[in-house]
Amino acid sequence: MPFTPPSRTLPGPRRRSLLAGAAGAGAALLTGCSASDSPSGADGSSSAASRARARAARDSERLAERYEAVLAVHPALGGRLSPLLAEVVRHAEAFGGGRASDAASGSATATGDAGKTAAGSSADPSVAASASPSPEVPATEKEALGALAAAERDLTDRRVKALAGVPGELARLLASVAAAGAGHAFLLTEDEK
Amino acid sequence: MSGSGGAGAQAGAQVTARPGTSAELKAAQAALGAEHAAVYGYGVVGGRIREDRRTEARAAYDAHRARRDELTRAVRDLGGEPEPAAAAYALPFPVTGPESAVRLAAELEDRVAGVYSDLVRAAGGDRRGAAAEALREAAVRAVRWRGGSVAFPGLAERSTTATASAAPTS
Repeated sequence: MPFTPPSRTLPGPRRRSLLAGAAGAGAALLTGCSASDSPSGADGSSSAASRARARAARDSERLAERYEAVLAVHPALGGRLSPLLAEVVRHAEAFGGGRASDAASGSATATGDAGKTAAGSSADPSVAASASPSPEVPATEKEALGALAAAERDLTDRRVKALAGVPGELARLLASVAAAGAGHAFLLTEDEK
Repeated sequence: MSGSGGAGAQAGAQVTARPGTSAELKAAQAALGAEHAAVYGYGVVGGRIREDRRTEARAAYDAHRARRDELTRAVRDLGGEPEPAAAAYALPFPVTGPESAVRLAAELEDRVAGVYSDLVRAAGGDRRGAAAEALREAAVRAVRWRGGSVAFPGLAERSTTATASAAPTS
């Protein structure tokens, strides 16, 4: 029985090209998602699933905003954070979120717009209300990294807990993104160990 | 043993008759097969890894053995017959030293992550949670071995799309 050699992926390119690429690929990913989402169409609870999906997209968008806020205060962390931010952006897109304009402008303060567009299709007052202003960024790089790692871990935990209530294909994506978040948390704090 | 004939088999048949379970059994068998391969593979890794990463390799080896045993039980619970380990496995590339040993470790984790993501999809309840946890652990170990991240651990269909065009970094 042979090992199946998985396709190798390498750490991504630097921030500028990644964000541009992510913004460009957003639309394609979105249509890809809706087309391939439920091949059987047999998941009786599709509205609950689409709510879970929208929430997951917003969670990733919020997380991307935290990365951007940290980068705005600590630009020297760019080499380390940009590849992770690019992945968080891809996560949001995979869940159907779109922050193309946000990413293109490189702004770290577009919380209002992001909240509006994200909540657009499924108006959810509790979520809209929780759209917070720009998160506080700790003054030192180390603390900022630690805060991001905590945010990643917190989100990973919430995603794993949310698995029980969603259809299989979405659960698979959620579990993968949760696992990626755990890897991010490790990379954000590995030099402390 | 004079038993009343096939009570165990009957219980198994009941379990397999449940809708969706055959897909889960198939995914659990695939995960078990990958864990067998990982246990074998880490035996190879352990022989070639550099001294300072030996503890890490040993911990991974132990973790995969534990998951293998857990999956063996899961397959039985699902009414299946656990697939045994093969005597030997073909490695994806020759492992000749510490560098290729680390690469193999990362590959093993990638492969394990792939079968667990499928098991998350097929399973429900506690077994889905356990598969997600195993996926998370494999993804973190892959990150440790590789020193870098992938956007969608265990999702082969997404891994080829965007990160394939890696530009050299300074």
